[in-house]
Amino acid sequence: MNISINWLKSYIDYDYSPKELADKLTMLGIEVESIKQLGTGLEGVVIGKVVSITHHPNADKLVLCQVDIGKSNTLQIVCGAPNVYEGMFAPVATIGSILPTGITIKRAKLRGEESHGMLCSEKELGISDDASGLMELSSDLTIGVSLTEALGLHDVIMELEITPNRPDCLSMLGVAREIRAETGNKIKYPDVTLLEGETDIAGLTSVTIDDPELCPRYAARLIQGVTVGESPSWLKQRLESIGVGVINNIVDITNFVLMEYGQPLHAFDYDKLFENRIIVRRAAEDEVITTLDEEERKLNSDMLVIADAEKPVALAGVMGGYDSEITESTSDVLLESANFQPANIRATSKKLGLHTEASYRFERGADPEVVISALDRASELIVQLAGGALCKGIVDVYPGKKEPSQIKLRSDRVNFILGTSIEAEEIEQILNRLGFGIERLPTKESTYQITIPSFRSDITREIDLIEEIARVHGYDNIPTTLPKGDIPIPTVNISVEVQQRIKHFLLGSGMMEAVNYSFNHPNCFDKIRLNDDNPLRDAIKLRNPLSPEMSTLRTTLLPSLLENAQRNHNHQINTIALFEMSSVFIKDKEPTRVAGILAGEMGGGVYGNPYRSPDFFDIKGIVEGALAVCGITDPIFQKTEEPTFHTGRNAEVLLGEKRIGIMGEVHPKVLENYELPYKAYLFELDIETCSRAADFSRRFEPIPVYPSIQRDLAIVVDNELQSDIPIEIINSTGGEWVESIRLFDVYEGDQVPDGKKSLAYTITYHSATETLTDKAVNDLHTKVVQKLNQELGAELRT
Amino acid sequence: MKKELETIQSEVLDLLKEIKSSDALESLRIEYFGRKGKLTDVMKGMGKLSKDERPIIGKLANDVRATLTDAFEAAKVAMENQKQEQQLLAESIDITLPGRKPSYGKAHPVMQVLERIKTIFTRMGFQVVTGPEVETEYYNFDALNTPADHPARDLHDTFYLNDGQLLRTHNSPVQIRAMENQKPPLRIIVPGKAYRVDYDVSHTPMFHQVEGLLVDKHVTFSELKGVLVAFARQMFGDQTQMRFRPHFFPFTEPSAEVDITCTVCQGKGCRTCGHTGWIEILGAGAVDPEVFKAVNYDPEEVTGFAFGMGVERIANLQFRIPDIRTFYENDLRFLRQF
Repeated sequence: MNISINWLKSYIDYDYSPKELADKLTMLGIEVESIKQLGTGLEGVVIGKVVSITHHPNADKLVLCQVDIGKSNTLQIVCGAPNVYEGMFAPVATIGSILPTGITIKRAKLRGEESHGMLCSEKELGISDDASGLMELSSDLTIGVSLTEALGLHDVIMELEITPNRPDCLSMLGVAREIRAETGNKIKYPDVTLLEGETDIAGLTSVTIDDPELCPRYAARLIQGVTVGESPSWLKQRLESIGVGVINNIVDITNFVLMEYGQPLHAFDYDKLFENRIIVRRAAEDEVITTLDEEERKLNSDMLVIADAEKPVALAGVMGGYDSEITESTSDVLLESANFQPANIRATSKKLGLHTEASYRFERGADPEVVISALDRASELIVQLAGGALCKGIVDVYPGKKEPSQIKLRSDRVNFILGTSIEAEEIEQILNRLGFGIERLPTKESTYQITIPSFRSDITREIDLIEEIARVHGYDNIPTTLPKGDIPIPTVNISVEVQQRIKHFLLGSGMMEAVNYSFNHPNCFDKIRLNDDNPLRDAIKLRNPLSPEMSTLRTTLLPSLLENAQRNHNHQINTIALFEMSSVFIKDKEPTRVAGILAGEMGGGVYGNPYRSPDFFDIKGIVEGALAVCGITDPIFQKTEEPTFHTGRNAEVLLGEKRIGIMGEVHPKVLENYELPYKAYLFELDIETCSRAADFSRRFEPIPVYPSIQRDLAIVVDNELQSDIPIEIINSTGGEWVESIRLFDVYEGDQVPDGKKSLAYTITYHSATETLTDKAVNDLHTKVVQKLNQELGAELRT
Repeated sequence: MKKELETIQSEVLDLLKEIKSSDALESLRIEYFGRKGKLTDVMKGMGKLSKDERPIIGKLANDVRATLTDAFEAAKVAMENQKQEQQLLAESIDITLPGRKPSYGKAHPVMQVLERIKTIFTRMGFQVVTGPEVETEYYNFDALNTPADHPARDLHDTFYLNDGQLLRTHNSPVQIRAMENQKPPLRIIVPGKAYRVDYDVSHTPMFHQVEGLLVDKHVTFSELKGVLVAFARQMFGDQTQMRFRPHFFPFTEPSAEVDITCTVCQGKGCRTCGHTGWIEILGAGAVDPEVFKAVNYDPEEVTGFAFGMGVERIANLQFRIPDIRTFYENDLRFLRQF
């Protein structure tokens, strides 16, 4: 909401500069989002009246104007504006002025004729973008007075952020009340003097409320014989300064009072109301109304309307009807001031997508007790500015009248909650200035009975009062201390530990961490070629997604990583090593997964560290390493059928029987779907299953005392043979003397027969209890070789 | 004879200075120490000396021999050192060739900041707790004193799911779950993802929050200030000033928005802080009694405070990325910068 400082000052005195006021309001909880200074650069511009116009002797499009600028000064000004006429009031920039647009006004000769100033358009004054002609001023202004003074342009406009709990601040008087809380100064309420006529309203209209729950109060006055026309400049200026458009005097007055009191009003053309009466009722199902914005709106029975005897004439608390709006031919005005139930207005406004100044206030909660003051204030202004006769009396139907609510407040509770030592005297002063009634309860020391003013419907509990005291006392004045309570003993979370270890390992292996949105395009399952019956396809859909790309929740991290690779490749980044650790959404569970991708090149791509393509065993090593840091040293890699992966180069990762993840080379068709021109390798592991198998316990093993002996062994076997089978045989044959077995070469080619391959191992023999002799090791090694030959037909390669 | 020995000594010492190669050194050694060497010859003449002269000359001869042996040894070592140095010189490389960097990854910038926030709070005794991202209306709104017709729901543009559930709009539901499962005292932080229907240069539909909650028999608003000031000083530097402004959240009362001195202008006022000198970093407040009632805590028996902050926002105070959506594009040229 915007406020004008000039306007605000008519309700309360204070000694703050605009900047100080902004700080005070902000520290009271009304954040000032911007401060705009109006009217600067217009110091030399005054109100002028064009007295006479003559033709310019040397130019067709220019005229010579004699302009009265007061104090018996008349200036000759050369002007080319199309809308200039004799008797026109317009702004005159006098010699020496520097306009906001940067123009300096000098005495000049235009085509031989002297010009002593400039008649200005709105654009030239920086007021608007209108350059079509001179800015036409109202003829009720005083000639010679400075423009900023005459139009109140010298003003400061503040944009306030009012939190949803404070509808009472959505008005000039509301903001003034906050200043009263800070300063203690009195509020100057408008002094309303009503001149009621002879005609009694009673015989002319009536109000019936069919649904008192949705409309606790409805009041109306009738003004007969008004002249609808333009508002005076002071009124237009007030509204325009805070960004409210001007329409006609009647509507402008209702808007003015809305901004003054925070009470929305509505003016009906009395003669357009069938039977001239008002019924507040729920709309019939599918009933139709054309609102002021000329939209036809279909209603339902949850919506409250203001109706005449026949049809709806306004959407209660939201917007008036088009058919009964004030027009130039309106003579009698029925003025509405009412109160509506917040939840209902909110629902209607939301349902119709229709948000107005009125609905904004009603849905947050307006003050039912201000209904009459606002109605009287507007009636007074209508009589003053639009003429007409105010009918005697008021229609006021008030079925929802409530006694003011009362709350007990313990002053020691205030300090208990805040950690302060605020004196009772200050508490009383703060509440008093906020308009609360205070009564000290005789029975209990330091307990008050607080009466809540009708405009503070947000205050319902003791804690709400404590907040009021805190904010007026000043959050800055509350001490800063550290918690005194005991620190609870934390519990251990294995899953967090596993995530941390794996993350550190992956970072250490050169993979960058990615974070992707939790959303996927539903077509990603086709892109990674999941089988039709794969449960991962059963993704949760968003009801209101931002786009198809973000319309389902991820069930796997792999598509995001492929997209990341694609994006990077498109930007010529081809060294791709990324991982992500995140929850996925599978039915009602949110398991955490870690996934990674290697694609394009590895290595530094520099002299001495050339690029190379990653392969299956790079990704496998990463998976093995990630598991090893969690103490999982015996994962099983088993070929599986996952269409995402290369048919012959994939594995599921098992712990015993339990599948904890998958990995492998990406299938060429999937690569095509992501427009990747090179091979890519993926893995995805489930953190929860890893956590269950994780083992962080470590026990010291003695450093070997006796030397170990190494023997190399190269065997020729069938090339389908898995390399771990010889290892099992070596282990079982060699027994406890086999300390380690390392596969250091795999070879197929010239020196090995077709269909065979050579596997070369280094076996380290060691005993914990004795120094092994060459002979003992040789004997054992020979046994190993024989066993390999027996079991696998393995030939020693020489 | 004495003269001869002295001549040999000075002769050899002079010659050694001229020696350039180990071969020359060896021939010189043979020339004097060999079986037919010059020194050997002189020594052979010892027998002809008188009884009186023999010990004197004998001693002299031994001294000369020892001196010369040492000199030869020294010359040999010097020559070897020189040879080694020459060889090392020959092995010179171009030290401007690139270093072979071990490849290493970097945590995502938002995660780096999240980790720092977690570390600061865990040092103050807060335990890390997590919870589901798919939530019910009850946990996301109702239990947090935000009933369906409450205007505060407008502040959250919520993603709803087809099954009527929603993506949490903040991490506060985890606070409710933690209080349901645990008796006070509680001192927790909840890091994680939250979601709102928002997509522009300063909003992403998924973002990260860290929320905190402390509940005990007597927790005060002044302690909330203390914890957050301690956080801000560690996060943004010792000189950081903090400002608490009254605000409104349905689940805290009293509520505050918390500003720190602008990290760009140090409070002088600049474009980043809208010339106020302050930058908002988080929301906080004393836990609303209605929230305690929702989890069956007695608001007369316990009090508490809660706070919540957006990690991207805090990260960007430092990084100053013009469009924060860049965080989630995972462009490696971007990720490598942090």
